[in-house]
Parts: sequence; structure tokens; C-alpha cells
Amino acid sequence: MDLVLQLLFTGIGIGAVYALVALGFVLIFRATNVVNFAQGEFSMVAAYLMVVCVELGLPYWLSFVIALAGMALLGVIFNLGVYYPLRHRTYLPVIIATIGASILLSNSVLAIYGPQPQVLQGWFDTPGIQLGPVYLDSQYLLIIGVTILLVLFNFWFFEKTLLGKKLQATSQDKEMASLLGISVSTMIMITFIYSAVLGGLAGILVAPVLFVSIQMGSTIALKAFAATIIGGFGDVAGAIVGGLALGVIETFGAAYISVPYKDGFAFLVLIAFLVFRPQGIFGERVAEKA
Amino acid sequence: MPLLEIRNLVVRYGEIEALRGVTIAVEQGQVVTLLGANGAGKSTTLRAISGLAKPASGDILFDGHSIAGLGPEAIVRLGISHVPEGRRVFPGLTVKENIMLGASNRKVGASQISREADAMFDLFPDIRAFSNALGWTLSGGQLQMVAVARGLMAKPRLLLLDEPSLGLAPVIVQAVFRIISQIRKDTTVLLVEQNARMGLSVADHGFVLETGRIVLGGKPDELWGNEAIAAAYLGGHAKTHA
Repeated sequence: MDLVLQLLFTGIGIGAVYALVALGFVLIFRATNVVNFAQGEFSMVAAYLMVVCVELGLPYWLSFVIALAGMALLGVIFNLGVYYPLRHRTYLPVIIATIGASILLSNSVLAIYGPQPQVLQGWFDTPGIQLGPVYLDSQYLLIIGVTILLVLFNFWFFEKTLLGKKLQATSQDKEMASLLGISVSTMIMITFIYSAVLGGLAGILVAPVLFVSIQMGSTIALKAFAATIIGGFGDVAGAIVGGLALGVIETFGAAYISVPYKDGFAFLVLIAFLVFRPQGIFGERVAEKA
Repeated sequence: MPLLEIRNLVVRYGEIEALRGVTIAVEQGQVVTLLGANGAGKSTTLRAISGLAKPASGDILFDGHSIAGLGPEAIVRLGISHVPEGRRVFPGLTVKENIMLGASNRKVGASQISREADAMFDLFPDIRAFSNALGWTLSGGQLQMVAVARGLMAKPRLLLLDEPSLGLAPVIVQAVFRIISQIRKDTTVLLVEQNARMGLSVADHGFVLETGRIVLGGKPDELWGNEAIAAAYLGGHAKTHA
């Protein structure tokens, strides 16, 4: 039982990272009808930004702020450089452009920083606390705490603010939104900035748990993508539940079945969903995207 | 000076010339109805006015200033609100949220917009009870009410209404037209209709479009009086005396 609780904690922690990246996928998909295959690279770039700032001797919190500001800027550049020129085309050229951007981002970092994985220390000096039978790693606590805050913020932002409603309206019918005077290009810009910051945050939070490497983005993104499908593609709640579920499943799979096949469990679950319940846990709310 | 003046407007969709030199004027305070068969260019005319379709040549003057080539976001800020064909109510937002977003062209705070949206239900009492229902759950008549209410939230000087009667039961059509005759007290209306009888019943002036050209314009009585036109576009002359 103790082990189960311990694994549950770790699984939710890693699942929270997938959930944040999955949320970025879903928000961009809803706004532009395109899957952003560079979403994982957002996490990787943010982690490297963090490493650079910390190595320069900046305080951890300042590095954090700079890295997130850098991600917001990357969101702007990504929108203007990758999505905006192709916005009147079908989804296919845009998807290919995001794949191109992801290759560009990882190779740029490789060229600058080299192939050696980097280490980023955690936010806290204390490694963790013992709570009864469960050891709570401080970095996982931080990940879970930030994710809870972000999910609450996300709900408030999209459901309770007028700007959130404008973003939803834009994702449902761009032409009608523009007829009402909603600036569609601004709404899509906000979506890209928000998604880049979400992805970046996930990368910064998970970096001390994993190594900071060129490949970390694609690994996280694949899991997060699986999470969006398991949760129900295009669904915000589905992305969060799917991410958490995936984190828990792979942690238990690694503990009870096989560590080397840890990454495989996510995809086994994905395949099972694609075969038996392709619409995901929450189903696709078709009406919302009519 | 007319509130809206369209001069020799030409709009092309690729090779197809949808409008081939349309000239119409809408005076302040009028309801003007644009009639014509399917594909005559009625919707295209409205889309050109609201900025969804770019004019190939000709000009569109609103209040004496050219708006041809401006984007839809800029045009609605000038005070032209377009309620398009098919209602286009956001399916995943509630009725009230849909109506509130109609004020996106004005710089007003969220609480003020919320009060204005509540007040809008006085004009549309039939949808008040559905204030928190999502768009996709509504019937055609309800959607039309939401679409018009949302269009009015822009506080437009000119309201463009595209086929508000399409697909609605006769009793609902009458309710919609009762609302149009109420709206006209404050707002100039350019109405596109296939239902000529209803369309002209509220109009001060009518135009008939045929394959991208205006073939006739005049007061509703004059249009009914033109035998050939009445037979071809207005549902048959004999019926007008029935």
C-alpha cells in the first residue's frame, strides 16, 4: 500500500507535466485546427534557457521569469513565422511547417549547446519531505502545485472572462468573430503565447527530474499527444485527465512490469484507446467545433 | 447624403463575377430590402459591405467615407453590423455570452455589456429563458433571435440582415419581422430576403438583383405594380390580389 501511494504521487507528478504540454496542444488545435508538432520543443527550449540563465549566475526565480518571458517571445515569433503566413491555407501546410519548426528549434539548440545533456537543479534546496509512509519529492510537489494553479487559472480565464469568451468564439467561428469586431489575429497570437508559456513551464518544471537534452521535447510531446487522444482530442479537461492518467499508468507499469518498457506503456494505452474508444475518455464534443 | 451608397460594385470569386456593377443607396432611417433569386448576389452584396468579400472595383461609401477594402473588424467598429446567413451563433457559448460578444466592436466594460445583454431580452423575450443554454441546443427561430440580438449589441447605425426568415416556421417568421419593425425606430436596416412578401412588408425601398445586377428599384408598391417583375421575383402577380 505504501508503495502504491508513493507511485501514485510520482505518477501524478510526471502526469502533470504531460497535462501542461497537452493543454498547449489542445488550445492551439482549437484556435487554429492544427496540431502544433513543435509543442514539445517549447519545453526543451525553455529548459535550456533556464540552464543558460542559472549558469550565468542569475537567481533561480529570475532565470525562471526570463525563461518564461523568452517563451512568450518565442510564441510571438512562432505565430508570425510559422502559422500566420499559412493561415489561409489548409491544415496540411501548417502542420508540415510546425514539424519544420520543431526540427529547426532542436537543431539550433544542438548547434549552440552541443549534444551533452545538461543538469538543472530543482527550485528548492530541500529534496523533499516524509509524510507518513510517502516521501514527497519537493520538485514533484512543485510540479503538482503549479499544475493545479494553472488548471484553475485556465478555467477562470476561459469561462469567467470576456477575453476567454472571445478566444473561444474565435476558435469556433473565425469569420463570425471578425464580424463582431473581435481581432482574430490578436486572439490567435494570445493562444500561441499562452501555449508556448505552458509548454515552457512544463519543460522548466520537469528538467530537474529528467536530464535537459535535445530529445526531451519530443519525448514529452509524444506522451502529451497520446494524453490528448486518451482524454478526447480537443477537450481541455480531457487533456488534463489524459495527462495525469498516462503519468500514473507508466509509473505503475515501470514499477510492477518492466522499467525498460516504461515509455512503451503510454503507447500501449494509446493503441488500446485508438482501437476501443477512439473518441477518448470525454469523447469529442463535436457540437462545440461545428 | 445617403447613409450607405454603393457605386458600380464588382466582386469576383476567382473567375466568377458575383456582382457586376451594383449601385444602391440606403437613406438614414430606412429599411431597404434586397430581393432576388438564389445566386443573384444578395449575400455577396452584404459580404462586400461588411468586409468579408473584397470589391474588385467600384466603391462603398458609409456616411460619405469609402469603406471598400477595409477588414470586417474595422467596418463593424464604424457602426455596420452584419447578421450573416445561417445565423452563425457560436455553438459552444451560451445565449448570453453570444449576445455579449456582439459588443466587441465597442470599448465598454464587461459589467456594462452584461447589463446591456440583459436589457436585450426585453426586445427578445422568447430567448430570455435560454440565457444560459449553449448555442447548439437552440432551435432555428431561437438562433435567429440570438443572432439579431447579438448584431444589435454593436449599437449599429446600419444593420445588415441576411435571410432572417430562412428555414423558419411561418409564425416564427412573423415574430422575426415584428422585431425588424421595432428595430427600425433606431437603426437603418438593409435586409436580404427571398421571401419577397415579408421582405417588402417592412421596407421603405426595394431593389431586385438578377445575376449580379440591379434590374429594378423602387417603393414596395411600385415593385408590386410591375407585372413582369412581380411574376418573376415576387412570387406571381395574381397572388398580390388574392
